[in-house]
Amino acid sequence: MESMHQAAILFWIPLILIGIGSWLSINKKTKILGLSVVVISSIIFLISPWTVPTSDSTAGAHLILSIIAPTILLLYGLHGMIFGGNVPVGRLDSSARWSGFFAMFVSIAIFCLMHWTNFTPVWRGEVNPYWIVFWPTMLLFSTSLCATASIGMVGYGEDRFDESVKLAGMSILFAAIIYIAMLVDGELITAGEFRDYLFLAVADIFGIVMGGLLAIGIFALVIWSYEKSLPNPENTHPPTEHEIKKVVEIAKSHIGGEEE
Amino acid sequence: MNKSIASWKLLLISALLPIVVLLTLNISLGEGIHEESFKRFANAVLTSYIVFGLILLGNLFFYADSRHRPLAPLVGMLVAVAFGVLVVWSLTSYDDILLEANSGLRSQLLSNIVRFLVSISGMLIAGIIAVGFTFAMITGRERRILFLEEE
Repeated sequence: MESMHQAAILFWIPLILIGIGSWLSINKKTKILGLSVVVISSIIFLISPWTVPTSDSTAGAHLILSIIAPTILLLYGLHGMIFGGNVPVGRLDSSARWSGFFAMFVSIAIFCLMHWTNFTPVWRGEVNPYWIVFWPTMLLFSTSLCATASIGMVGYGEDRFDESVKLAGMSILFAAIIYIAMLVDGELITAGEFRDYLFLAVADIFGIVMGGLLAIGIFALVIWSYEKSLPNPENTHPPTEHEIKKVVEIAKSHIGGEEE
Repeated sequence: MNKSIASWKLLLISALLPIVVLLTLNISLGEGIHEESFKRFANAVLTSYIVFGLILLGNLFFYADSRHRPLAPLVGMLVAVAFGVLVVWSLTSYDDILLEANSGLRSQLLSNIVRFLVSISGMLIAGIIAVGFTFAMITGRERRILFLEEE
């Protein structure tokens, strides 16, 4: 089979099916079908670096596969940290908070090792070209979001200064990782390469945010103009004597009860 | 000044400030602005617009059961997405306005989608970290007594 057709069948179509499956899973009637489509398509998509090694696009699937393990560890850690605290339902043992905290930092450490040591995702014998897209984007966006959360916490909450400082600390941690990556060469990636791609990561972040907002704006405009074109709903008829009697009967049957 | 507007401005500044500081540091280290930055930005805007447009179009279709699936908004959104595709196609095929280090139109478009996928994964993980850590901080506080009856 020609390489282009192989890539279409084993990479692009599964990628599209993941989206369609997610939409189908929203509906109760097609939920199982949708979830099955998502699972099967995800597997086919993730193994595409081996099934279609000639396609350049499969480097993206290879990268996502490479970051799955530390991401799961991160999710486990955050889950433990949140539900090991004061939550009204689903509370975990208080030790989960510390193990979660540890898991989260181990996960961030693994990401750092993937940049500075030979843990870097290697594809076709070279550093995966999308690693240098993913890593600065994730770091920059984390720095930015943690700083926003810190200001939001102290701005909107009451007596939240300590928590705000901890969030600011997280933002500084990510900024420090970026700064170190600007100065210190990794085993497979140089500091110069990282500095070079930092601008592109910023361009990606602003571009994605702006494009997303533009699409949401257009979507709102389309819905608004459609709703505006609809005629006003007609007034309903007043209730008949029989309907009023029925309502009174129902209301009477529910009035009463013992005093506490 | 309206208090809520001031807060939004503060949040926006707090989101942008770390990025601006890091970029300034990057420039001070002798690295000029990458020559392909504008192309990357334009490609990211257009790709993101089309992908989010398609996701919203899908939602419009799959959520419209209760409204008897009216055609007008579907067509409107389809036209909006098609316009985005047309802009990408014309800007990429005309000279090299949006063509990065790729051999042609098709490889540029496919590379845009994969890069979008990778970048959005990074942004999603960053979002999980920020939201998760915020909630962890909130639930980590000692339980406070709100009313005397709770004692």
